[in-house]
Amino acid sequence: MKRSVFGRIWPNATALVLFVGFAFPVYWMFATAFKPTGDIISENPVWVPTDVTFGHFTKAVHADHFWTLVANSVTVTVSAVLMSLVIALFAAFALARLRFRGRRGFIVTFMLAQMAPWEVMVIAIYMLVRDNDMLDSLVPLTVFYAVMVLPLTILTLRGYVAAVPKELEESAMVDGCTRTQAFVRVIFPLLAPGLMATSLFGFITAWNEFPLVLILNKDIEKQTLPLWLSQFQTAFGDDWGATMAASSLFALPILILFIFLQRKAVSGLTDGAVKG
Amino acid sequence: MSVQTEGTDTAGQPAVRKARVPAPRGEDRTPAPSARRGGAAPYLLLLPALLATLVLLGWPLVKNGMLSFQNLNPRQLIQHLTEWNGVDNYQEVLTGSDFWHVVERSVVFTAANVVLIMVLGTLVGLLLARLGRKMRLTLLLGLVLAWAMPVIAATTVYQWLFAQRFGVVNWVLDKAGWHSMADYNWFGSQFSTFSVITLLIVWQSIPFVAINLYAATTTIPRELYEAASLDGAGAWKSFTSVTFPFLRPFLYATTFLEVIWVFKAFPQIFALNEGGPDHLTETLPIYAFVEGVGNQHFGVGAAISFLTILVLLVITSYYLRMVLKQEEDEL
Amino acid sequence: MKRKLAAAIVIAGMMVSVSACGGNDDDNTGKNAGPDSWKGQTLTVWTMDGSAPEQWTKDVQAAFEKKTGAKLKFETQKWDGIQQKITTALSESNPPDVLEVGNTQTPAYAATGGLAELGDLKQQIGSDWTPSVSHSSVYDGKQYAAPWYFANRVVIYNKKIWAKAGIKDTPKTRDEFFKDLDAIGKKTGAEPLYLPGQNWYFFDGLTIGQGADLVKKQGDTYVSNLGDPKVSAAMEIYKKYASYSKAPKDKDEATPQQAQVFAKGKTGAFIGMGWEAGTAVQANKSIEKDLGYFTIPGATAGKPEGVFLGGSNLAVAQGSKKQALAKEFLKIALSDQYEGELAKLNGVIPNKQSLETNLKGNAVAEAAAPGAAAGGTTPLIPEWAAVENTPNPIKSYMTAVLNGKSPAAAAKQVEGEINKRLAQQN
Repeated sequence: MKRSVFGRIWPNATALVLFVGFAFPVYWMFATAFKPTGDIISENPVWVPTDVTFGHFTKAVHADHFWTLVANSVTVTVSAVLMSLVIALFAAFALARLRFRGRRGFIVTFMLAQMAPWEVMVIAIYMLVRDNDMLDSLVPLTVFYAVMVLPLTILTLRGYVAAVPKELEESAMVDGCTRTQAFVRVIFPLLAPGLMATSLFGFITAWNEFPLVLILNKDIEKQTLPLWLSQFQTAFGDDWGATMAASSLFALPILILFIFLQRKAVSGLTDGAVKG
Repeated sequence: MSVQTEGTDTAGQPAVRKARVPAPRGEDRTPAPSARRGGAAPYLLLLPALLATLVLLGWPLVKNGMLSFQNLNPRQLIQHLTEWNGVDNYQEVLTGSDFWHVVERSVVFTAANVVLIMVLGTLVGLLLARLGRKMRLTLLLGLVLAWAMPVIAATTVYQWLFAQRFGVVNWVLDKAGWHSMADYNWFGSQFSTFSVITLLIVWQSIPFVAINLYAATTTIPRELYEAASLDGAGAWKSFTSVTFPFLRPFLYATTFLEVIWVFKAFPQIFALNEGGPDHLTETLPIYAFVEGVGNQHFGVGAAISFLTILVLLVITSYYLRMVLKQEEDEL
Repeated sequence: MKRKLAAAIVIAGMMVSVSACGGNDDDNTGKNAGPDSWKGQTLTVWTMDGSAPEQWTKDVQAAFEKKTGAKLKFETQKWDGIQQKITTALSESNPPDVLEVGNTQTPAYAATGGLAELGDLKQQIGSDWTPSVSHSSVYDGKQYAAPWYFANRVVIYNKKIWAKAGIKDTPKTRDEFFKDLDAIGKKTGAEPLYLPGQNWYFFDGLTIGQGADLVKKQGDTYVSNLGDPKVSAAMEIYKKYASYSKAPKDKDEATPQQAQVFAKGKTGAFIGMGWEAGTAVQANKSIEKDLGYFTIPGATAGKPEGVFLGGSNLAVAQGSKKQALAKEFLKIALSDQYEGELAKLNGVIPNKQSLETNLKGNAVAEAAAPGAAAGGTTPLIPEWAAVENTPNPIKSYMTAVLNGKSPAAAAKQVEGEINKRLAQQN
């Protein structure tokens, strides 16, 4: 197809503008975090931090129990994601590969579960957890986060399982594998990108969760980073340098994870699809 | 799939028709006739997921339902009293004028956001498909950054971008000649607060639609386009006759998810302005939270959250019915 | 877990009111516990951000641990969302044993049954508590908390900036104050006053100065009194003050902490509690030498502005299993020695008149004292606490007026919400 010069330029120009639009808030967060206060509250914005300072980060990390909160957040998030991935994989396999009575009912059930407005059920959850003496513990958080992300994990994984060519599995079984062996040796490796892509959603949800941990865990030793960030913001709302440093620290792990996993996930997605 | 109405004269149509709805991308799978396997296996595989959902979601839902028929304020909560009060809570909510305003606002808010997300997300996705490798990776990077920003960090950053004093947005608007925006308070009025919330949500949601849509377009067989262009179809025609029908199931599924996500959006609205000014940006989840937890009127809060679920069910019922029908066809 | 659910359904069927889980009827367990059984126990005390100075907690902790052999743990709570936190905490089987409760919120918590009755403590150590100060902790004729301290707002100003503006003396009347603020605005680059739009405790003080109340009784119920012309007059004064500030109209003094803004040294003055000076110094050591305080001036010299008498009580959770130990803590913390020390360190009014000598020479306290005489509180009724829940309709009212609405129209706008909250059952 022949294109005019204009036809070649406009997609690139648009893409560039879009890139700036999407990336700017993230850039501005990091840039502000590294700028000395004088450059932050200046009548004309300082676009690039020339006079780099780490003072805001020091202030942010200086909060009580910061590292405990980091450890809690990592523990809860990783366990919740792993838990939901394992449970979802079983379910997704059944829904994608097997035919049985009530299948669509199950699918719709998970779609309905996806709609649950967790934030507005916090009091009900609080009372249940309280009456079972599980307050100030990471366990309820982990399992609730796992179930929060479970429906979408199942529905997404189902697509990935279905995309693995059935013939591969069948030929493995012809070669003498049992169905389980076929799954472990053939399907599972092909699913890896799908699992990664799916886990991203879980990571971001669990890492972010705020209303539940606020009401369930009053003991600071059992709290997570979102509480720290929000309290930090209330107390230092005017200190944008420190607030942005805190936000940067909070966002960084997820950003890294996304950039790392997303590339694999997208290429996995396309590869798998071409084969399928 | 019966919802497909456009008459296309291209080859490969059967493949297009079989693209299924709920998968997040157009997948091409023929239901294998050999897949008839009876027995307990599927149910056993589903058991953990069902059990987890039942205990950890179903139980709170039931509990929430029970609370909605109780008079539950700090005194009852502290003393562990159970005071049933029939449908009083529902009566209080449904006869007040607030609730219906909030429902209307939630629906309009959801519709506006989802339309923006889907239209812009689709355009960005199609743009990704047109770009060269280098530019595509650049744009993808931008999208992933926005997508990956944790919501709480993102709301904080938006508060800073739109800050009244020293906020970069006000500075840009001022320099661009709109001088009345120099010290503008974005969180002072309903419309401007909603504008910031919408920008935040759309900014964060477009990447999901765009990236997945782009991935889906790469699965469209080349032959379809070749056949279309042999038939003399131009760019627009080949879009409407090949790309769009192929992506339609994906678009349905994504719209469904976006409706749910936008409708349920909580931290974005709450952290930016707590539903203010004057309760004017309260959507249903915020309203339930403010009345229930904030105002310590927990029974009423439970009733509102129950009604919130009902409203969401009504909004999504069309799609759910479609899925039910579709999955039935496949069996 | 299943059984509990089944039980709940049975209860639902019977439609009776029963206690679902009991659990907090063991408040007598501490009664026969003696000093020997205290060893190895830990008493948890919640204090609010800014209330308990570090030196004081250290001293009280040492005295408590020495006397009882038990451990003492202070936990500082943030103001944001505190009502929900206290409510849920009081419902738990392991609540904080002792907690600080704001004076205006004490009646509401007393009414919930979450606070232990402290009649015996009052008899032992409270005979000389200042009656007006102790008033807020009495509900239904019973003592539900011990008065801890009282404080009222003063003007905290930056001497350097005031000198730069050529001001010789602190103002004695409101008009003089405004003139000084004008001078600061004209002669220095500083912001004359930092006053966000929702410093509603200051506003409450202005209404007290006008002789108005925020609620009035209508038949058996309380309703909003914001429409009263006296309240409008108070709001007009607030608006005049706010016109000297570039602070956001829709934020309160805690977001951001106004002392932190002041600490940057570019603000002439702010209206705050004495301890906020400490916050400012913590943020910027060099501001300490420039700090000054004066009484918020009223319409005429010699009659200071009305102020909200903020104060805190110490209460014992009904659900605490260490009632005796908790009372032991109160006896120590409220003893003349430590109550006096708190007054001295924070410049707050102690719960006994005899201890007020501790305030001598304290610049904050001396500025606060004249105002305290003209002080008042929000209505001390259990219904009131709900009004302060987020989003506080009085704050909405203030923002609306500052954004140009007439006080009467703004009052009308929030009246419904206030009345709804006042009518809310407990």
